[in-house]
Amino acid sequence: MTTMINQAAPAATETRPQRGLWAMGWRRLKRNKVAFCSFWVVMAYMLLAVAGWLNILGDGWRAQIAVPYAPPSFLAKTVADTLPPEAPVAGGTASAPALIMVTPEEDPIGKEMEIARQNMGKYATANDAKLESLPFGADLRGRDVIHKTLKGASTSIFVGLLGALLSIVIGTSLGSVAGYFGGKVDDFLNWFYSVFTSVPDMLLLLSFAAVAGRGIKTIIIVMALTSWTGTFRLVRAEYLKLRSREYVQAASAIGASDARRMFVHILPNISHLLLVQFSLLTVALIKYEAILSFLGFGVGVTQVSLGSMLAEAPAELVQGFWWQMVAVTIAMSLLVTTFSLLIDGLRDALDPKAR
Amino acid sequence: MNQDTLLQVRNLKVSFRGEEGELTEALKGINFDIPRNRTVALVGESGSGKSVTSMAIMQLLPARNTVIDPASQVTFEGRDLLALEGAELRKMRGKDIAMIFQEPMSSLNPVFTVGDQIAETLMLHAGLGRRDAFKRAVALLTEVGLPDPEKRAKAYPHELSGGQQQRVMIAMAIACEPKLLIADEPTTALDVTIQKQILQLLADLQKKHGMSVLFITHDLGLVGEFADDVVVMRHGEIREAGSVEQIFNAPANPYTKALLNCRPHLDSRPLRLAVIDDFMQPGGYVKPGERVRGYEASDEIILDVQHLAKSFDIRQGLFGKRQFHAVKDVSFQLPRGKTLGIVGESGSGKTTVGLTLVRLHQATGGKALFHGKDLLAMSAREFHEYKRRIQIIFQNPYASLNPRFTVEQILTEPMMLHGIGRVQMERVKMAQALLDRVGLPARSLSRYPHEFSGGQRQRIAIARCLTLKPEVLICDESVSALDVSVQAQVLNLLQELQDEYKLSYLFISHDLAVVKHISDQVLVMNKGEVVEQGDSDAIYRAPAAAYTRKLLDSIPTGWQPQAA
Amino acid sequence: MLSYIIRRVLQMIPTLFGVMLLVFCLFSVFGGDPSLVLAGKHMTPATLANVRAQLGLDQPLTTQFMIFVKQVFTLDFGTSWGSQQPVRDVLASRVGPSLTLSGALLVVDLLLAVPLAALVAYFRGGLTDRIVTICCTLAMSISALVYIVAGQYLLAYKWGLFPVGGWGHGFWTNLLIYVPLPMLMGLMVSLGPDIRFYRSFFVEEMNHDYVRTARAKGLSEQKVMLKHVLRNALIPVVTTVMMSLPYLLIGALVLESFFQIPGMGNEVVRAMNNSDFPIIKAITVYVALATMVFNLLADLIYKLIDPRVQLK
Repeated sequence: MTTMINQAAPAATETRPQRGLWAMGWRRLKRNKVAFCSFWVVMAYMLLAVAGWLNILGDGWRAQIAVPYAPPSFLAKTVADTLPPEAPVAGGTASAPALIMVTPEEDPIGKEMEIARQNMGKYATANDAKLESLPFGADLRGRDVIHKTLKGASTSIFVGLLGALLSIVIGTSLGSVAGYFGGKVDDFLNWFYSVFTSVPDMLLLLSFAAVAGRGIKTIIIVMALTSWTGTFRLVRAEYLKLRSREYVQAASAIGASDARRMFVHILPNISHLLLVQFSLLTVALIKYEAILSFLGFGVGVTQVSLGSMLAEAPAELVQGFWWQMVAVTIAMSLLVTTFSLLIDGLRDALDPKAR
Repeated sequence: MNQDTLLQVRNLKVSFRGEEGELTEALKGINFDIPRNRTVALVGESGSGKSVTSMAIMQLLPARNTVIDPASQVTFEGRDLLALEGAELRKMRGKDIAMIFQEPMSSLNPVFTVGDQIAETLMLHAGLGRRDAFKRAVALLTEVGLPDPEKRAKAYPHELSGGQQQRVMIAMAIACEPKLLIADEPTTALDVTIQKQILQLLADLQKKHGMSVLFITHDLGLVGEFADDVVVMRHGEIREAGSVEQIFNAPANPYTKALLNCRPHLDSRPLRLAVIDDFMQPGGYVKPGERVRGYEASDEIILDVQHLAKSFDIRQGLFGKRQFHAVKDVSFQLPRGKTLGIVGESGSGKTTVGLTLVRLHQATGGKALFHGKDLLAMSAREFHEYKRRIQIIFQNPYASLNPRFTVEQILTEPMMLHGIGRVQMERVKMAQALLDRVGLPARSLSRYPHEFSGGQRQRIAIARCLTLKPEVLICDESVSALDVSVQAQVLNLLQELQDEYKLSYLFISHDLAVVKHISDQVLVMNKGEVVEQGDSDAIYRAPAAAYTRKLLDSIPTGWQPQAA
Repeated sequence: MLSYIIRRVLQMIPTLFGVMLLVFCLFSVFGGDPSLVLAGKHMTPATLANVRAQLGLDQPLTTQFMIFVKQVFTLDFGTSWGSQQPVRDVLASRVGPSLTLSGALLVVDLLLAVPLAALVAYFRGGLTDRIVTICCTLAMSISALVYIVAGQYLLAYKWGLFPVGGWGHGFWTNLLIYVPLPMLMGLMVSLGPDIRFYRSFFVEEMNHDYVRTARAKGLSEQKVMLKHVLRNALIPVVTTVMMSLPYLLIGALVLESFFQIPGMGNEVVRAMNNSDFPIIKAITVYVALATMVFNLLADLIYKLIDPRVQLK
């Protein structure tokens, strides 16, 4: 993306602004206000995701800083009355005044208590009085929903991006070989493709996930292994079409090798399609991750993603605690909406027919 | 308005709004009349605005980005067509004015039978019932000369040939006896022999039904035989309008003169074809001397093709395969510095010959001896060296250059692949020199193909071939997609290069006049076979084969005094 | 035609083989040892060996694969490791609910999406088009899970408009009482993308030259749309729908499991969670087979509705 900006800048100052196709696409995108705003929102999400992986943002999501299901601050007063009795929290008694007075000598655990009391300072933060409300409330264990959402979104985007990238790599390599060489290779890869597509995608995804187990890395691999077929079909069709295009034939006539024709001549000419496909896949995989985690095949129990947060929603809603779900919905919908609008914009901007 | 005038165009100004909101003028306020019962030809090259004119008359331009100047007027029998709306407009379309288009295949709805599509017009405007309309449709198909019309009426468009589809379009257009028929490049997509038939049909129908025809074409030569009046357009303006006799005999405008002279003629072969600039300059065009062509006994043969064959497998039945013979037993010799022309209609196998020689298709039989070595029997590694020596230029200048490459990349890539020039700097220098040679400025190097016009792109493609200093250049319909004026420039360039570098050309084209102009020897192909072969002058003067004669008869002769 | 069908059926054999191989690899090679789960926590080496022998896991992989192939062709996958019922019976009882829910969902979705798509395409570029497209994009952006969770909470739990979930006896009871809520949620998820998808078919058709011809004939825009464009755009719509039919079999996976509808999708989730491999294997292979058959049917129907298609 940065290279595009760099290319566009000098081009715009020239008298004849038409340059490479990417620069032209970028100019068109800029003119499409909706898509351009969406672009920046998506970029902000990407930044957030990066910050999340580097543990700059949302790192403290595990800290149980508030009472369970602490309401959002803007609701704190009205909800306080309806809150269920406070659930006992492990370690919470340390700061409570001792009701039964026993001397340290009589107390069977007196020594340990004494040591614990001395060490209290070290755990001061964990043992602080729990907050009654948080800007956007807390979950069952009193964790800040905002932090959790940030971290969760970061995980989901990470999974979506890497999964989509891996999936594109698989689909493109197989598709380009099948489409370019045809013949027996194509037959074999087509067989492979038809095997994968004859199982409905959700079933395939679940089967892989059930076998592979939970965890972020597993999920990325599973989603890549089950979602490459769309890219394969697209890339194969494009290679089939482009390999007989005159400029590729001309490249052959001047002595360009197969590899050169495949990757130097054809690949850049479908790169805009791949970018769109990559974006589509990212969105799809973010949605799939949510469903997988919801069904219990997603990220590990110690990790958080938008899906694993949604999995907690049914139990919370019944008790009237809606904020975690709303937070996730907002975070996810904004991402998916802007991403979709960006994809629409990209499609128009990069459409070679439009010029 | 004169009683005899059917349609009057006054001050027609049309602009298109670009994606950045900028306006591009397509028609700069044109005026012309279509008299009753006459054929008016609207002639111009691409971008002249001729098609826009016809679409504006029918109000078929996309409303979203079209701006028609409010002062524009198109008066048809006293009514302003541009002001028509809704039901009135629809009543005019198809009933008063009908239209046929360039691509008959895509212009017909693929999922309805042709009979139904003709009947639809009749039910709409003539108020016929379905059964009557279909009967009338069959009658119309008979009238336009479709064989076995009863059966063909129930056929789908894809089951008919291109010429038959265009006949269906014509039947549909004349169904409601329109007063004006607009034919927008109706024969451009068709083979030359079919073109002749369709033009004849249109001329006959015009007389029979007493309608007016607005005939839109890029080919001035085409209109001479049957238009009454000619309007010549360029860049959205009318350059000249007049009777066909005046246009052909005494053209006043230099552009018209240029158009008449740019096209190669069968009866002369100037050393250099006229180009538009020749006429725009003061002093005008001075006809250069004639060039004599033909093989000579002393010629050094560098390419000797013997019994070349190529067949494709077509799947048939359960596991069966059928062989389709695209090229059957083609033999020819190509001497150094000479041109062999291959002519034929679509499906004749002429392009396949070219592609098999550079091994873009694998030949299934025969030999191609290049300096005595068989190109077709070489290993891929051995052939790599020979790729340098035989190059090919394709038809479509828009598809033959990689859109993601700059001109510099396009031109230096072949040199890099064949180790020509030691460093990139050296190659860029050579590329610059070649660009200059084909008549493009050096600053083109950093640009992308989409920034060039069709003719310029074809020059770049030629320069790309020249980077390898080839001995043989295969030109596969290389000038067919270009406007006549640009075509002449590229043909002149090819001729200069041949003289300069002693190049041998294999010139493949459907255009007999172009082939005659540039070839020493001609090979006529039909359905994969060689029909006739010989010195070009001899063949054109006295064709031996019936097929060649038919081809030659189909060439538009331009305006002839006796025909008028 | 017949030779085409025969060839396509023959082509299914390697694909089916591939699916069996894939399923076998997943569950018998990489799937870990299910006997560890099944033998329970307090297993002894003896009970473990016993379980392994029962499941045939002590056999070499090739033998296991042969057994699996035999199972596929004899429609006999043994018993479910969970409920101990024959797999065949389990699956047979699950098809009905899935078809009821997904079938209803498909029909209503088509009835809404196709006309809306045509309408939107007719007004393309206009305000209606923009509003509907934006609504679709927004509707698509919300996760299916949110619709389901929030929908159930609000419409069923809080306002009591529908039962919270479950399934009854009798087709009409189910269709009229238990299906509407999950169907509504399903529609929220599917309408957005479907309208956009079908719209693209219509818009693409409207750019063809024959539309210009139809206009030049003097047909009104409505007639151009309803006769010429619709007939052509329905071709890809019908094929898409045909291809999606086998998906009815596994039902709407998440919907079924969340609303406790005893369908295939629910069974899949249950089986996955409990490592009930015979059930998963059977469902996967048969759904794959159904997909192949329906793809062939889709092509044959394609031939019927599109005169251009030549089946070779």
